[in-house]
Amino acid sequence: MLLTFKGRPVLPGNVTGVAVVSHGGFNTYASFFESIHGPSDEAICADSGNGDLFGRDLADKVICVPSSTGSTSGGAVWQRLIEMGNAPRAMLFSKAIDSLAAGGLIVADLWTGRRIVVVDRLGDAFLETVVHGDAITIGDDGGVVIRRTGA
Amino acid sequence: MSPDAAHAANIRLTPEEEDVLAGSEGPVLQRVMRTVVQYGEALGAERLVDISGDGHLVIAYAIPGIAPSLEMLEELVAAGLRTKYPFTLDPRPPLDYDNWALDAQQVAVLDGMYRDQARYEDLLLQLGARDADAYTCRPFLEEVGNTPKSGDILAWSESACVVYANSVLGARTNRNGAIMDLLCNVAGKVPLSGLLDDGARRATWRIDVKTADLPLPQLLGAAIGRRVLADVPLVSGLERFLSADLDAPTRDYLNEMGTACATAGAVGLFHVEGITPEAVAQGMDILAADHRTYVIDEDVLADLSASYPVLWRDRDARPEKCYLGCPHISLEQIEWWARSISAALSEQGQARIKVPTTLCAAPQTLARLGADGSAMRDLEAAGVMLSAGCPMQLFDNDLAAGSAIITNSTKLRTYTNARFFPDRRIVEILVGGDI
Repeated sequence: MLLTFKGRPVLPGNVTGVAVVSHGGFNTYASFFESIHGPSDEAICADSGNGDLFGRDLADKVICVPSSTGSTSGGAVWQRLIEMGNAPRAMLFSKAIDSLAAGGLIVADLWTGRRIVVVDRLGDAFLETVVHGDAITIGDDGGVVIRRTGA
Repeated sequence: MSPDAAHAANIRLTPEEEDVLAGSEGPVLQRVMRTVVQYGEALGAERLVDISGDGHLVIAYAIPGIAPSLEMLEELVAAGLRTKYPFTLDPRPPLDYDNWALDAQQVAVLDGMYRDQARYEDLLLQLGARDADAYTCRPFLEEVGNTPKSGDILAWSESACVVYANSVLGARTNRNGAIMDLLCNVAGKVPLSGLLDDGARRATWRIDVKTADLPLPQLLGAAIGRRVLADVPLVSGLERFLSADLDAPTRDYLNEMGTACATAGAVGLFHVEGITPEAVAQGMDILAADHRTYVIDEDVLADLSASYPVLWRDRDARPEKCYLGCPHISLEQIEWWARSISAALSEQGQARIKVPTTLCAAPQTLARLGADGSAMRDLEAAGVMLSAGCPMQLFDNDLAAGSAIITNSTKLRTYTNARFFPDRRIVEILVGGDI
């Protein structure tokens, strides 16, 4: 089964990946707190307040969230993850991107030369539809296709 | 045209901004401007506006992943760039080890984590840090002197400072993240969006405080933040207790309440009926027509306090340490702790407190405290240690995990395993040694 959504490409790109989903706000600093200290293939979510993501590996995934929350210290995390090799492939926001996430992801993009694809304004229906493990295809026009494995 | 260029073309730039974006001032400032322009586009800004006052940045710690890399700062410095106005920063890490009762293992770990701190601070000075004592999360205290004027356009970070600058001082700043805060201040520009806009400053919540007495600011703020998240609240009912002329106790109260609001939610601006400048100027017109209402009474605050989990390894342990001053506290607040601890010790016939305690304040506040004399003498005699550092950074490693640490700070409680107690209860615990 294929489900299609359209958002706004903030940092456009064509990429595919596996979805991990948070229905609550994504606390960037708390989530990646333990993933920024050295090169790693993993980025295990350390935010014990996020029941959807706590303990899941976020590296190389397509992270689907409503918006980001938490400390303004979280801005530098994205740049570090790219340098460490354990960044997600894409961030998909159901709401308009917030200043904390926008700033951090754009700085990381322009100052490392390596991109985490970002699409926002995908709508509540997107977050109500996507589940962990869905195969996601993102287009540089902000189109997002969910391919439900086994459906 | 690349997709990024098409994306950035939607924002309206001045000829001067266009020139910088085209590289007229060199490739590094070109990249800085491109970053700020793209930030504005992502936030839906129609244009950039000039920053009109000193900055405050969250990036005080030389830890990759929290701060910009040294290479990035060196690139900015090598290009001869610095911020348009000087800036202050969050408190230094707790490298004044004698004031934190640390063991050798903790000292070794902190030495390793912060091995680049001196070089990092030198680069920040070259980029516009105000001076070597520019490190505090209370930059707006009189003795520190980074006090924005009403209407100032800023690009601040540190959620506790953002919410105070917006709410109590009437300045305008969004919650900018680390690194973007620095780059906006280097460009001297910030996107006109969010809390810089009049429309986003109207209250979409009315918080009706119905307690019989003035509630603890750290608890009230947490209750508000949890409910409104990133929205703007108008708080009613505090005018029964606080001074309309924003005197020092009122400013201290609103600083603690705002920090807790920003920590428990993502509040960047609050109004207090009859007290904060925009609430005074606009009266109840500051409330959006479709606002929601939330009543806070003693039961709400008691339920909130009871909901805080105990994250100590041994929940029945005697407290090992106490950290006060997150956010940094004022001279008047330090004097309250000195009086209260001295009186409690005297009542018990004791000379010193039983829990190693560090109290944190701005370097300039501690200098004033030393000059004034008596409160400093009382605290030192009681065994209280004083620091201009930040206790949060003691938890950036596993060495403090699970330790029996107590605090009066909602922020410290939220981000660490420290256990929250009200101020007066803390005094009792410090003197008695157990809970």
